[in-house]
Amino acid sequence: MKRIVMSLLLLVLLTTGSQAANDFIKIGLMAPMTGSWASEGIEMKQVLELLAQKINTSGGLLGKNVEVIIEDDAGDPRTAALAAQRLATAGIVGVIGTYGSSITEASQTIYDEEGIIQIANGSTAVRLTEKGMKHFFRTCPRDDEQGRVAARTIQKLGYKKVAILHDNTTYAKGLADETKGHLKTNNLNICFFDALTPGERDYSTILTMLKAKGPDVVFFTGYYPEAGLLLRQKREFNWKTPFIGGDATNHPDLIKIAGRDAAEGFRFISAPLPQDLPFRTAKKFVSDFKSNFGKMPNSIYALLAGDGFRVLTHAIRQTKSLDKKRISNFLHQKLKNFKGLTGRITFNDKGDRIGDIYSDYMVVVKTTFELQQ
Amino acid sequence: MKKFLLTKKTMIFILAIFFFCCPLLLNRYWVDVLNNVGLYALLGLSLNIILGDAGLFHMGHAAFYAIGAYTAAILNTQFNIPILFLIPMGGVLAALFGAIVARPIIHLRGDYLLVVTIGLVEIVRIALINDVFGLTGGANGIFGIDRMIIGGVKIRKPHHFFYFIYLFMIFTVFIFSRLKQSRFGRALNYIREDETAAQGSGINTAHYKLLAFVLGAGWAGMTGVIYATKMTIISPESFSFWESVIVFMIVILGGSGSIAGVILGAFLIIGLPEIFRGFAEARMLVFGGAMMLLMIFRPQGIIESVPQLYQIRNR
Amino acid sequence: MEQFFLQLTNGLTVGSIYALIALGYTMVYGVLKLINFAHGDLFTTGAYLGFSVLASIALTDRLGPISGVIALAVIVMVMVGIVGIVLERAAYKPLRQSPRLSAVVSALGASIFIQNAIMLMYGATFFFYPQDILPKFTIGIFGIDIPIMRCIVFIVSIVLMAFLYLFIQRTTIGTAIRAAAIDQDAARLMGINVDRVISIVFFVGPALGGAAGLMVGMYYGHINFTMGWVYGLKAFTAAILGGIGNIPGAMLGGLILGVIESLGAAYISFAWKDALAFCVLILILIFRPTGILGERVAEKI
Repeated sequence: MKRIVMSLLLLVLLTTGSQAANDFIKIGLMAPMTGSWASEGIEMKQVLELLAQKINTSGGLLGKNVEVIIEDDAGDPRTAALAAQRLATAGIVGVIGTYGSSITEASQTIYDEEGIIQIANGSTAVRLTEKGMKHFFRTCPRDDEQGRVAARTIQKLGYKKVAILHDNTTYAKGLADETKGHLKTNNLNICFFDALTPGERDYSTILTMLKAKGPDVVFFTGYYPEAGLLLRQKREFNWKTPFIGGDATNHPDLIKIAGRDAAEGFRFISAPLPQDLPFRTAKKFVSDFKSNFGKMPNSIYALLAGDGFRVLTHAIRQTKSLDKKRISNFLHQKLKNFKGLTGRITFNDKGDRIGDIYSDYMVVVKTTFELQQ
Repeated sequence: MKKFLLTKKTMIFILAIFFFCCPLLLNRYWVDVLNNVGLYALLGLSLNIILGDAGLFHMGHAAFYAIGAYTAAILNTQFNIPILFLIPMGGVLAALFGAIVARPIIHLRGDYLLVVTIGLVEIVRIALINDVFGLTGGANGIFGIDRMIIGGVKIRKPHHFFYFIYLFMIFTVFIFSRLKQSRFGRALNYIREDETAAQGSGINTAHYKLLAFVLGAGWAGMTGVIYATKMTIISPESFSFWESVIVFMIVILGGSGSIAGVILGAFLIIGLPEIFRGFAEARMLVFGGAMMLLMIFRPQGIIESVPQLYQIRNR
Repeated sequence: MEQFFLQLTNGLTVGSIYALIALGYTMVYGVLKLINFAHGDLFTTGAYLGFSVLASIALTDRLGPISGVIALAVIVMVMVGIVGIVLERAAYKPLRQSPRLSAVVSALGASIFIQNAIMLMYGATFFFYPQDILPKFTIGIFGIDIPIMRCIVFIVSIVLMAFLYLFIQRTTIGTAIRAAAIDQDAARLMGINVDRVISIVFFVGPALGGAAGLMVGMYYGHINFTMGWVYGLKAFTAAILGGIGNIPGAMLGGLILGVIESLGAAYISFAWKDALAFCVLILILIFRPTGILGERVAEKI
């Protein structure tokens, strides 16, 4: 008897848990707040909150305040799917996120089914925009471009025997494949092509094997935690062969994980770093960020998230509505050369950002990241 | 009149009606939570046969779940076989897998069986991540799984799934209760209580234990197919050892062996953290602490399984 | 040949860490017949406590690198040992008379609790051990360059295990532990305070796990609150491999597991190395269920 009453109570609880009416414009953020990429997620949150605060203190958006609703995707596809379910029922107009192509992919269908606009900031796998989803956009570039630039750079540096290491994620494998394709067309020798398991600590085995193959350079297309470990452990073996990373190795934590000595001389290919962005809007934002949070933003992906947010709020303002279809159309057709933090933004039909972001330069690590032309 | 209103049966009846109207009252999110509860309850019921009824320490249940889900995903995305057909097919394949895998390990003693099942689920997960035979899509899984179409209705929205899952659950509960009363159920009960005595009475324990595994695996496989069509994307992360642990806990906390207990266990383990979302990050902490306390103060689970009463027929 | 030897040393290093953690599992199992699922999280606790102590007291500055690290290790081991005792009192002692499954669930609950407690106290991001305290050169053994830190990790683990072995075999308390592992009631009849024995086991086992955590933190550089998960599972596998309840077995199991992993990864495939380890485990359990060195529990007929 008691149990039955308790169950009734439970159901009542659930029912009253339903959402009440709202008077905000809600924009979602799906980001890795826990997990290996928490440093990225936390900065994405900070950038968006700063931008939202700016809007709210200068009159709001269409007369209302903007609220950023944050859900953690933990850097894992399943958690992302659950987070997407929650955001999809929270009454948001659009969602910014996320970092990690496989993570974004897990959430795409859910948002698409509800017609929610999704603007990804750190998901460069080609296939994400090949699905015909009308409401999906990304402010970050694609891996086919990055692969091209990577291959070009490797050749320019004069390396002949290349080892390619990835981690089996959609992004890393995609980038590795693209680069391999380009390198092969130019007749370079690829002496090693395999994956490590992300999330582990000890890569001595794979490093020992790599070393035995004797490459001129190792191109690692995975993420920064593993890159840091690889650099650190390679140094222990006194192995001097240079490593080059893809854009997911771009994060200052890399230096912390690898240790300064090991990180020195590491190069990676990336969109410009926040402190190197030449645009006025960017410089202003970066200094605002610094005065608010006491440090410069570390990650270009956080700024790309910021651009996603700005583009979305701009579209809302211009179409004077929260109708997702109209906003989507606006973003596809009417948004031209929008002044983003990371440069001019225009989207093509597929939702990709038009324009060259990966320039032919790399960053060399000393104790911080330094631009190299 | 008063008596009629207050009897247990009427209250359950009212509760049931209220429950089935849920999708109309709750918002999408909570209906989805109930859907998840339903799926875990189904998993719990299937594990219950192995763990609760037969008393076999099994922590690798997610492996069977995975086989069902991936079978459906692969056959659906590669060969366009409709999901509805894949439900029994996923179940059969998972059952087959269960039979093959259980055969060599069925004789192992309690703790060792536990460890082997842990190893099993990890091997399956690693195989999935490594894209074995090029079929499983690696760490990113398989996406683009179809929805079911039943009688012209596409099962897509949370409330569609709600009815489907809970109807399936009623069916499951019915079958499993009948099983408990059957020869199979009695044999399992005996084996759990005292295996040596059971063997002494002439019960082929290996045979029944294997059957328990096969049945539990098959049901988990079917649940896996439902999961696949609900999420439309599956990835190896959903089938880790941790998932097995969750199902294991549902069975134990709810009261192993008791069907009602397992269902309630699912509600608590899946539903409570959702309600606790208000506590934000501390909710898992509270949950862990609650688990420990529950075991200390009520180790037999919330609804303990009542010793089976069998009718002795007069001859 | 050089490759093989190098991979072997890699395996031994990793394996010695597994062995240290496995000892905790095996000791607890031997005495209580309980798989302490929270043990991996005690390992994590060691790593985090080491980080906190290092960050707050700066021992190495005061005592010099070697004594500083030793002092750090001792402090961390004691602290984690105490956490172990508290864990036992809170989660397992009340369940001594209950069915075994309840203790397993309580262990899982404790694991979740500790993990999340660490996350709440420290935050969800990685933490980094200061880099400058470790030597970084290689030494040549048989003409092959091996990083010195690997040797240190290996040697330290072996030393700790040797101490444990002597403790168990040669001291009175050690004998009491062995007795309690064989038969608790008989041990009680012999006048052994089984409660005290259990507390000691829950001090020593976790202390070793904490030492392992500290070494991992120092050697690999970064820690996060889920690190205990994988290590715990592997160490547990190692304990079973060697024969659960058997202390030399746990040591051997850990080393063997590390070597299988390394060699398997190098010569068969990286991606499947964990699966390989589990396969070996399953095969051993099917064909020799008591593990390599056999378990130390009397079979009840």
